[in-house]
Amino acid sequence: MITQEQYRTRVKELLSSGTVKMVIGYKPGSTPDRRRPLFIRTAEEANRLVLDSACITNLSGYLVTEGLLSDEKKVAIFLRPEGIRSINILAAESQLNADQIIILGFDSTGSVVKTLDGTHAGDFSELLGSIKQNSPVKPSEVLFEQVEQMTPAERFAFWQEEFSRCIKCYACRQACPMCYCRRCIVDSNQPQWVNTSSHTLGNFEWNIVRAFHLAGRCVECGNCGRACPVNIPLRLINRRMAQEVIEAFDHFPGLNQTQEPVLASFKKDDSETFIL
Amino acid sequence: MSEPFEPKIVAFVCTYCTYAGADLAGTSRLKYAPNVRTIRLPCTGRISPMFILKALQKGADGVLVSGCHPGDCHFTHGNYHARRRWMVFRSLLDFIGIPPERVKYSWISAAEGVKFAELINSVTEDIRKLGPFDQYKELIEETEAEATH
Amino acid sequence: MAKIGVFICHCGENIGAKVDCSRLAEALGEHPGVAVSVEYKYFCSDPGQESVKKAIRDNNLTGVVVAACSPRMHEATFRKACAEAGLNPYQCEIANIREQCSWVHTDKDMATEKAMDITRSMVEKVKRNNNLQPIEVPVTRRALVIGGGIAGIQAALDIANAGQEVVLVEREPSLGGHMAQLSETFPTLDCSQCIMTPRMVEAAQHPNIRLLTYAEIESVDGYIGNFKVKVRMKSRCVDMNSCTGCGDCITKCPLKKIPSEFDCGLGKRTAIYTPFAQSVPNKPVIDKANCIYFKNGKCKICTKSCQFNSINFEMQDEFIELEIGAIVVATGFQVQNNAQYGEYGYGKYPDVINGLQFERLASASGPTAGKILRPSDGKEPQTVVFIQCAGSRDPSKGVRYCSKICCMYTAKHAMLYAHKVHDGKTHIFYMDIRAAGKGYDEFSRRAIEEDEASYVRGRVSKVWQENGKLMVRGVDTLLGKPVEIAADMVVLATTMIPQPDAKEFAKTIGIGYDEYGFYNEAHLKLRPVESSTAGIFLAGACQSPKDIPDSVAQASASASKVLALFSKDKLEREPVIAINNEATCAGCWGCVLACPYNAIEKKDILDRSGRLIKRVAFVNPGLCQGCGTCVTFCRSNSIDLAGFTEKQIFAEVMGL
Repeated sequence: MITQEQYRTRVKELLSSGTVKMVIGYKPGSTPDRRRPLFIRTAEEANRLVLDSACITNLSGYLVTEGLLSDEKKVAIFLRPEGIRSINILAAESQLNADQIIILGFDSTGSVVKTLDGTHAGDFSELLGSIKQNSPVKPSEVLFEQVEQMTPAERFAFWQEEFSRCIKCYACRQACPMCYCRRCIVDSNQPQWVNTSSHTLGNFEWNIVRAFHLAGRCVECGNCGRACPVNIPLRLINRRMAQEVIEAFDHFPGLNQTQEPVLASFKKDDSETFIL
Repeated sequence: MSEPFEPKIVAFVCTYCTYAGADLAGTSRLKYAPNVRTIRLPCTGRISPMFILKALQKGADGVLVSGCHPGDCHFTHGNYHARRRWMVFRSLLDFIGIPPERVKYSWISAAEGVKFAELINSVTEDIRKLGPFDQYKELIEETEAEATH
Repeated sequence: MAKIGVFICHCGENIGAKVDCSRLAEALGEHPGVAVSVEYKYFCSDPGQESVKKAIRDNNLTGVVVAACSPRMHEATFRKACAEAGLNPYQCEIANIREQCSWVHTDKDMATEKAMDITRSMVEKVKRNNNLQPIEVPVTRRALVIGGGIAGIQAALDIANAGQEVVLVEREPSLGGHMAQLSETFPTLDCSQCIMTPRMVEAAQHPNIRLLTYAEIESVDGYIGNFKVKVRMKSRCVDMNSCTGCGDCITKCPLKKIPSEFDCGLGKRTAIYTPFAQSVPNKPVIDKANCIYFKNGKCKICTKSCQFNSINFEMQDEFIELEIGAIVVATGFQVQNNAQYGEYGYGKYPDVINGLQFERLASASGPTAGKILRPSDGKEPQTVVFIQCAGSRDPSKGVRYCSKICCMYTAKHAMLYAHKVHDGKTHIFYMDIRAAGKGYDEFSRRAIEEDEASYVRGRVSKVWQENGKLMVRGVDTLLGKPVEIAADMVVLATTMIPQPDAKEFAKTIGIGYDEYGFYNEAHLKLRPVESSTAGIFLAGACQSPKDIPDSVAQASASASKVLALFSKDKLEREPVIAINNEATCAGCWGCVLACPYNAIEKKDILDRSGRLIKRVAFVNPGLCQGCGTCVTFCRSNSIDLAGFTEKQIFAEVMGL
C-alpha cells in the first residue's frame, strides 16, 4: 500500500501543478480481483486510484483515443513494463508523442507492488533491455508446450475447437493497444478478405490475420485474452509470434522509440532455410 | 477403384523472375504437372498473406510463393521484405495447424526454367502424397452449407 | 454491367494442339459477364487484331481477355489494339495459355481444364480493372551535378555540351577533387594536372554551366523532373566579383604554417588561401577556423593588402534555391586513415605515408617540387617499401572490399620512384596483383621488368624505427620465409572509403547506400548509373572504388541518362503505382519504411483553420515504381496498387 500512497501523492502533484491534464489509472472493479480504468482530471479524485497486483490491464491503448493528445498537453498513465513497451511502439509508429506521456511505472511480484524509476518512456530503456535479456526463449506454460508437441492435424483440431467458439465480437481487437487502425481490415468489404460471419473458417482467418498484424508488435500484455468472452487462449498465438521474431530477427518489440518495425525492415542475411 | 488424387495448387509469383522463369520452361518445352494455377504480381513484396488464405478457401491443397533470388529483385528489396513476412507467417500457419508442407516458398530466376518445372513436379508430388487438405475443406463445406440456409 | 470479350488464340498448333479451344470458348461464353467468347488462329495477326477491335466496337465491350501467349510477348500489342478501338488499354489482360499451359502439358483434357481456370480467373480480374491514364510528369531541363572532381566535371561538360543547363556544385573552394592532387596517372604516366586543369577551366567557362564552389547542398525536395534544391553558399569572406585573384593577400597573411589539405599535410598554406596554384576559380577564401581575426578579433592585414576592397569579414552564408530536373551525384571518396593499423606506424613515424601523400611528393607542383624526399629530414630515400591492401580486403580491421585502384597506383609509385631515384630500391608487399583493365597488366609488368620493383607476396606484421631506418617485418609466402627490410620510407596503399558524411548526405538527397556508405545503384548489372531514386544518377567513386577511366565512363553514362530524360517536355510513366486512401490511413509509416524508392511522404491533413487533423501517407507518383511492397505492409488496407489492386487479386484467386 506504500506504493499506492506514493503514487496518489505523485498524481496529486502532477494534476494540481497542471503538469498533466489527465491521469489514467485503475479503480476497483466489479469483483475484488478486478480493476477498471479510471480517468481523472483533478487532484481531488486521486484518492479513488487503486494500485495493487490486480492492476494488470495495459492501459496504453486509451492514449491513442482520437483527439486525446492533439492539444499537445501531457497525460500521466499507470503502466507495467509491457505498457511502457507499448508506448515505445506507439511512438515508433507515430501514433503518439512519447514526450507527452508521463509514466507512473510499476510492477508486481506476488502481491507486492513496486515502483519503477523514470518519468518518460526513454528512462526505462535499461529496464526493458534487461527484460529482453531475461525473457525466457522457451515459455513455461504447459498448454503451449502441449500445442507445440501436437501433430499439425492435432493442432488444427485444437484450434478448430477453440475458434469454433469465436463470436467475432472483436473484443480482442478493441482491447489491444496496437489495434489502432481507423479501419480494421476485417471491416473492409472491397474486397472482403476476412469472412465476417462467425463460422469457423472466418474465425480461423480473423485470428490468423489478427496475430499476423501483431507479429513483432505484441508485448504480450494479455489484454486480448482477458477480453475474450469465450476464453480462446490467444496468448498462445501471441507467444508463438513473439518467440518467432526474437529467434529469427532478435526483435524484442518496444525496446525504444527508434526501433524499426520488424516486418517493415529487413537484413540481407535474414534466415531463409525454408525457401526452396 | 478411386481415381488418383489430383491436388489443386495455387502459385503466387513475381513477374520479373519466377513468371519469366515459368515462361522459359514453356519456350523450352519442358513438361510438368498441370496442377498449378499461377497468379502474376509485380513483386514478391506485393504478395500478401491474405492471398494464401484465400487460395486455401478456394480449395487449394497447396500454395506456392515464388520470386527473385536475394539481390536480384527488380525493385531492389521487395523480396527481402517478403522473406521476413513469410518467415513469420509460415510459423504462424504451422502453429495454427496448417502444415508448412502445404505452403512452399522458393526463389526462381528468369533463367531457371528447369528449376520451375522441377519444382512444380516435386511440389505436386509432395502434396499428392499429403492428400487433400480435408480439415480445411471441412471448414469450407461448413461455410457453404450455412450460406445456403 | 461488365461486358467482357474473351479472345482465344490457337497460335496455330502451339495452343490449339494441346488446348481444346472450342471447348474453352464455349465454357467462357457461359461465364457471367462475358459478352463475346471467340477463337481464332492468330489473334496477334492484323486480321486478328482487327477482329478484336471490331468486337469491342460492336459489343461496347468494357474489358478484354486475350487467352494466348505470355503477357511478356503481346500484352503491349493487344493493349494498343484496345486503345485504337476506344477502350482504355488497361482494360485488357492476357491469359497465358501457351508458355504456362499448352507448351508444358501433355494431357489435353487437363491442359484444357487449366486453360479454363486461367482464363476465367483473368475475366474476374478484368471485371475489376479501372481505366488508367499514363502519368505525365513535367521535366525541368536543368541538371545539378554534385561534386567537382573528374566525374562531376565530365558529367557537367557532357550535359552542357549537349545544350542543356547545368549547375555544378563543389564544396571545396576549387574544382579538381582528388584527381588534381595526383602526380602522373596509370597506365600512361601522363601528368594528371595537365589533363585535369584544362577540364576545370572548360567547366568554369562553359556558357551552360553555372559553377558554385565553396557551396553545399542543404536540402533536396521533389522528385524526378521536379526537384527543388537549396544550396548553401558558404561565406568566402572574399567578394568573387571584385577579386582579381592577384594573390597579394595570400603573400601578406602572417599565418603561414597551416597544414595544406591539398598537400595532405606535407605542405603549408596561409589562412587566406587557394587550395593550389591552378585553383578554379583562382580566388581565395578565408579559413575561419585558423584566421587570427576570427580567433581574437585583430589582424585584417589581408584587407590592407587588397587593392579592390574584396575582403569582407562580415560576409554571411547565403542560400540559393534551384529548380532541377535531374541530379548527378559525384561526391567522390576519401582515403582511409591508416592510423588504426598500429603495426604500420602511420601517424607515429613521419616517413610512413599513405598513397595520396606519395602522389603529392611525386607531383611537380607538390611541396617538394616533384622530388621524392622523406618528410622527416628531407633526404632522398634509398629503399622504399610499399604495402598493398593497407585496409582493404581485411574483414577484421579494415574493409572487406577490394579498393580496386591500389595495385595499379602502387606499381605506378614504384615506377615514378625508379625514374626519379635511379639507384633506389623498391619492395612491394602484396596479396594479389589485380590489374584488369586496358593496358593495366602490361603496366604492372613494366614496374617489375623495367623498373625492377621487387614484389613480395605476403603481409607485413610490423614496422618499427631502428638506427634511423624503418624496419619492416613481413613474410614472403612464396618462399615461406619471414623477411625483414631496412627501409627509408614506407608507403601504404591506402583504401578508398566513402566520404565521411556520405551516409548523412545520402539521407539529405534521398538515395540508398550500402553498409560502408557507398551509394547504391538501382540494379548492379542493368542500371549501374541510376540510384534507386528516379532522376538521381551516380558517377565516380561515391558508388564504389573506381579509377579515372571508370569514373569518366560512368559520368558520361549518367550524363546520357540525364539527356534522355531531358529529351522530352514531359515524362510519361506506366500508371501502375500505389495510391493511398487518406480516410483510412492510420499514419503508422510502415509503408514509408518499406518503400525501396522513398516514394511515400507524410502529408498533413488540415482543417479549415489550418489546424492539423492528422498525418497520412502520400505516394508520390513521380517516384513510385509500382512494386506494391507497401500494399502488403498496410494493415488497414489503405494503400492499393493500380493494375494489381486488392479487388483484382481477390477476384483472380476467387475465380480459380
